[in-house]
Amino acid sequence: MLRLWSAISCLLLASAAASASSQSFENSAIVRTIDLGGSLVHVTTTFAVKALKEAAGVYTITLPEDEIFNTSWLEVKVKGKQQPLTVTYSGAPAGSKSHNLDVSLEKPLEAGATINLVLETVQTHTTRPWPQQAAQDEDQSLKYETSLFVLSPYNTSVQRTKLKSSSPRIIFYTEPENVQAFTLENPVTKSGSTVTYGPYSNVPPSANQAFLDKYQQRVVLHYSYDYPVLEVLKLRRAAEISHWGANLNIQDDIVLHNAGPRLNGHFSRLQHQTQSFYGRGAPHVLPLFTVQLPPGIRNTYYLDQIGNVSTSHLRVAPSVSRGLKNTQNSVLELKPRYPIMGGWNYTYTLGWDAPLGDSGSYDPNTGKYIVSIPVMTEIPGAVVNDAEISIILPEGATDVDYVAPFPALSNEISTHVTYLDTIGRPMVIFKYKNLTNKHAKPIYVSYRVPISAHLRKPMAVATVLLVLFTFAMVARRVDLTIYKTPTKKM
Amino acid sequence: MSTAYPLPTNISPTTVANTASLLRIVAFGLISGAAIASRLFAVINFESIIHEFDPWFNYRATRVLAAKGFYEFWNWFDPTAWYPLGRVVGGTVYPGLMATSGVIYNFLHYFNLPVDIRNICVLLAPGFSALTAWATYMFTAEMKDPSAGLLAAAFIGIVPGYISRSVAGSYDNEAIAIFLLMFTFYLWIKALKLGSALFGTLAAVFYFYMVAAWGGYAFITNMIPVHALVLLLMGRFSGRLYVAYCSWYAIGTLSSMQVPFVGFQPVRTSEHMGALGVFGLLQIVAFASLVRSHVSSKQFQNLLAISVVTMGVLGAGAFVVMTYKGWIAPWTGRFYSLWDTGYAKKYIPIIASVSEHQPTAWPSFFMDLQLLIFLFPAGVIMCFRELRDEHVFVIIYAVVASYFAGVMVRLMLTLTPVVCVSAAVALSTLLDTYVEAKEPDVPEERMEANGSSAPDGKKTKKAGGAVGSQASTTAVAAASSAISDFVSATRSSASTPRQKGIWGADTRLVILLNAIGMLVFFVFHCTWVTSNAYSSPSVVLASTNPDGSQHIIDDYREAYYWLRMNTPQDAVVMSWWDYGYQIAGMADRVTLVDNNTWNNTHIATVGKAMSSPEEVAYPILRKHDVDYVLVIFGGLLGYSGDDINKFLWMVRIAQGVWPDEIQEPNYFTPQGEYRVDDRASEAMKTSLMYKMSYYRFSELYGGGNAVDRVRNQQIPKVGPTLDYLEEAFTTENWIVRIYKVRKEDTLGRDLKTANAFAQGKKKKRSKPVSRRRAIV
Repeated sequence: MLRLWSAISCLLLASAAASASSQSFENSAIVRTIDLGGSLVHVTTTFAVKALKEAAGVYTITLPEDEIFNTSWLEVKVKGKQQPLTVTYSGAPAGSKSHNLDVSLEKPLEAGATINLVLETVQTHTTRPWPQQAAQDEDQSLKYETSLFVLSPYNTSVQRTKLKSSSPRIIFYTEPENVQAFTLENPVTKSGSTVTYGPYSNVPPSANQAFLDKYQQRVVLHYSYDYPVLEVLKLRRAAEISHWGANLNIQDDIVLHNAGPRLNGHFSRLQHQTQSFYGRGAPHVLPLFTVQLPPGIRNTYYLDQIGNVSTSHLRVAPSVSRGLKNTQNSVLELKPRYPIMGGWNYTYTLGWDAPLGDSGSYDPNTGKYIVSIPVMTEIPGAVVNDAEISIILPEGATDVDYVAPFPALSNEISTHVTYLDTIGRPMVIFKYKNLTNKHAKPIYVSYRVPISAHLRKPMAVATVLLVLFTFAMVARRVDLTIYKTPTKKM
Repeated sequence: MSTAYPLPTNISPTTVANTASLLRIVAFGLISGAAIASRLFAVINFESIIHEFDPWFNYRATRVLAAKGFYEFWNWFDPTAWYPLGRVVGGTVYPGLMATSGVIYNFLHYFNLPVDIRNICVLLAPGFSALTAWATYMFTAEMKDPSAGLLAAAFIGIVPGYISRSVAGSYDNEAIAIFLLMFTFYLWIKALKLGSALFGTLAAVFYFYMVAAWGGYAFITNMIPVHALVLLLMGRFSGRLYVAYCSWYAIGTLSSMQVPFVGFQPVRTSEHMGALGVFGLLQIVAFASLVRSHVSSKQFQNLLAISVVTMGVLGAGAFVVMTYKGWIAPWTGRFYSLWDTGYAKKYIPIIASVSEHQPTAWPSFFMDLQLLIFLFPAGVIMCFRELRDEHVFVIIYAVVASYFAGVMVRLMLTLTPVVCVSAAVALSTLLDTYVEAKEPDVPEERMEANGSSAPDGKKTKKAGGAVGSQASTTAVAAASSAISDFVSATRSSASTPRQKGIWGADTRLVILLNAIGMLVFFVFHCTWVTSNAYSSPSVVLASTNPDGSQHIIDDYREAYYWLRMNTPQDAVVMSWWDYGYQIAGMADRVTLVDNNTWNNTHIATVGKAMSSPEEVAYPILRKHDVDYVLVIFGGLLGYSGDDINKFLWMVRIAQGVWPDEIQEPNYFTPQGEYRVDDRASEAMKTSLMYKMSYYRFSELYGGGNAVDRVRNQQIPKVGPTLDYLEEAFTTENWIVRIYKVRKEDTLGRDLKTANAFAQGKKKKRSKPVSRRRAIV
């Protein structure tokens, strides 16, 4: 869990400021909606905020410790606006296992003014299969655990938590206890596929140990889930930019793992064939999946360690020139060599060539090339535990600069030597952990390539050939015979 | 002098020579291109993949070599093969092939060309086929002339007999061995012609390379001595022969002993004794001729002759005694099977079980060589016309290789080069005769005197001019004209000696067009055979979709990849030995037996486990720590190369070691049929192999008839049950089925009763109900 922490601490610039002066705000309502998924859980919390003091510009959000460790992506927006607000980390309130995030509002609120803030987070690895094993024909159900109350340093008039499952089959949910102080009605209701905790009225400032000890409690939801729970254990993306071929080659090496319930017993092909014949595939089996690739790609290859995997279908969308809106992606239906049952692994390599013009451009003002390379290609519903993206620039590129959509755990620039290189190519490496579909954004790399660097390769080849021919010319004319027989009879 | 067609006159000889040289280079470039391109069918139709079985081991070894270096490879002990024995790979392998790839790999990487080792391995054989074409060119050029050489190069470049072992992906020792074979022979001929120790040494170096690359080096080891011996017997002993042979033998033998797998065999085994004997004989003969040149006495010469013979006889006697005493190892079983085709089947079923060790069927000669097989004898006869030393070599080679090719299918490979050489000599002679523009001078008065002699003469020239024309074409030489040829030939030889030659351009055209037509057919045949018969990787199968597109059946890799990804790294997989190398290469798991069939008992153990009932097989499996058992089953798809069809060999091999427990007749029906349906014998039905193959097979058909599409037999509705194994994985088309060996029951029951108990629970619960009813 600690590794996640480092991701978050990168995300939020640490600041030593103490918690906001108490009670500059009041929450008129907090609604937390948790979209239960497999490896990803999307949480949207809406804070209806009312300012109590003049010029209140910094609103504090408190997240419990376990939750912040599981959160791999976080964004705060004003409801209805696109631009996210600046969020800074402001330390942990003394004695409580929670962490404060300060949201700087665009402009300070006057007393009595209201604003709706939306906190969106994506949690990874928060569900676990229960039971931990499932036979081939059994259903898959997961358990999700969270805390009952949304924490806030402010008074809250009413708050509720909705847990939404994709299927109405909810096997179990916790009945909260000791909530008579906040509600007189049923503390939890289930309707269809949604379980709602609350509304709980008049919740006092909760980001303190006293409240946590007295009221905070864990709630568990056990629900059945109809899609396989996927984890990409390892993603190695190599993007190679070639100016000679006007080509951007992207290759992903992926270790895929089905993190759903482990297969109980053994795999029976007969049963699998029967199930897929009647269209009743077990939910924890992954027979194939679809990924969206950029339009206009060529030479797509899908292999694993022992060769080509012939069971895939690709529909290539036509190339879209840069600047125009991309309406259509190429669609690749990937079918692994075998259906991936719960607990099984599969590795594969997927690569393609794309026209460099679609993702790169030349800026005549600065004399630099700018290329955008997506951090990852989304595998629907999967979390990428460990990612390493290396961008290989043309040989001789200088002034390498990059802008990442979110900071990497580590960056380095090294040298990669490949076909006919003499000095090697600069390679920028980004390392990430726990990437989700929200992270599939481009990294921008800019660099300069002098003319001499372009000509380096033909010059090198020409030199080698020249040396060879010269050697052959000389060698043909050298006579190493020690003794010349006068005339030979044969 | 008259010519059949106008020839340019104002060309200097240098221009002709230069143009000819340029044309040769261009032609040779095209031949290389054709040789490489025709081997790429497999890559284009499928992918860049290693084929079949043995190449997977070579590929795996090459990867070790490329990753860890030569020293590590040399000392490589592979604990994952022949579990639990392991295999000393460095000492039991011909490293030439891997070393070649390793050198190429390191060379390319040194120059920053990061070519994948797999692609080097896949494309090594096509690359070397171009070199083979070049070596054959040089060899044939020594026999006749460079134009015959080009023909031979073109033949060997595309002939299916050689392509069968050298398509892209067929990464086997033969891929480089044929080049080495031809090049060593070329260097030997060159050394013999020149009496050059340099070429003799070069021949020895390439002989060493050949020894390091292929077990078939014994062919060279015996061919060259036989050639030398025949030359001796023909009275053609010379200083050239002495220098060439001695430099080759001494250096070649010493260097070949550096290969660990060969070791001291060159002085300890019978296969190598011929070379040693001829070496000794040459010393005696050389000594004798030296003495004779200095001594004149007739009596002394007689004494010398007697002493030479005595020494020869003594040497042969010593050889026999040493063999008898066991100082020299007698011939191995594989060697015996070359003389007696029934030998292997009787004594070493494991050799006989390999399809490429079967005697060759006649059609395969035509399939592999087509036109060349007809030109071949003609070429050999051409060699008799001049009978220089090198022609003797070709004649011996032709005779020996023809015999071996008839004994074993795989030895077709050694026949192919000599067929190409002889056919090229024959065809080139034919072309020489008919392309030649010169017409014979005919005295005017004879033409007037005998009007009918002109057509007669024409026919005579044909018959005398080219033997090839007799063999190759029937269009011109009809039977009746052949008789008249003889008549006129005898008549003319009796009267005046007549000039040989061809009159007119039309005659030439008829023959040449015929010859070219046959060559074109040859090319079509080669392409067809290559693309249809020899370019299947056998790891990947292809079929056609209803819409005509290609459908890949990839069950092998599906299963191997599943093993690789989802079983523990040290899991032991038992399968028949055919799949050992593939499991090690693709699934990266421990195997019991593999294609390096060195331990017959171990293989027989697997055979016994496969052919025994479950409860007998289970202790064997547990004792060998087997975790998974893998069988190949083609019944659903009609894939005939499956384990049920190989099953009888497993039974035979097991019977060889345990004749009391396994008997082949038990697996047949009382009528002597090999059946898998409800009439199958009891031993068959209870055998592990049968159970694993047909486990739950009939359920796939619901209530319908389950038909095994390989054997066209109906499988019983109630299929076999398994108690000691459980199904772990079955591929999409059921070709590969993997079973997990269950661990012993935790309560100490045997698994059969444990299973019965687990399944019988429901019955026990229902019993009290019925009892109560009975009471009521």
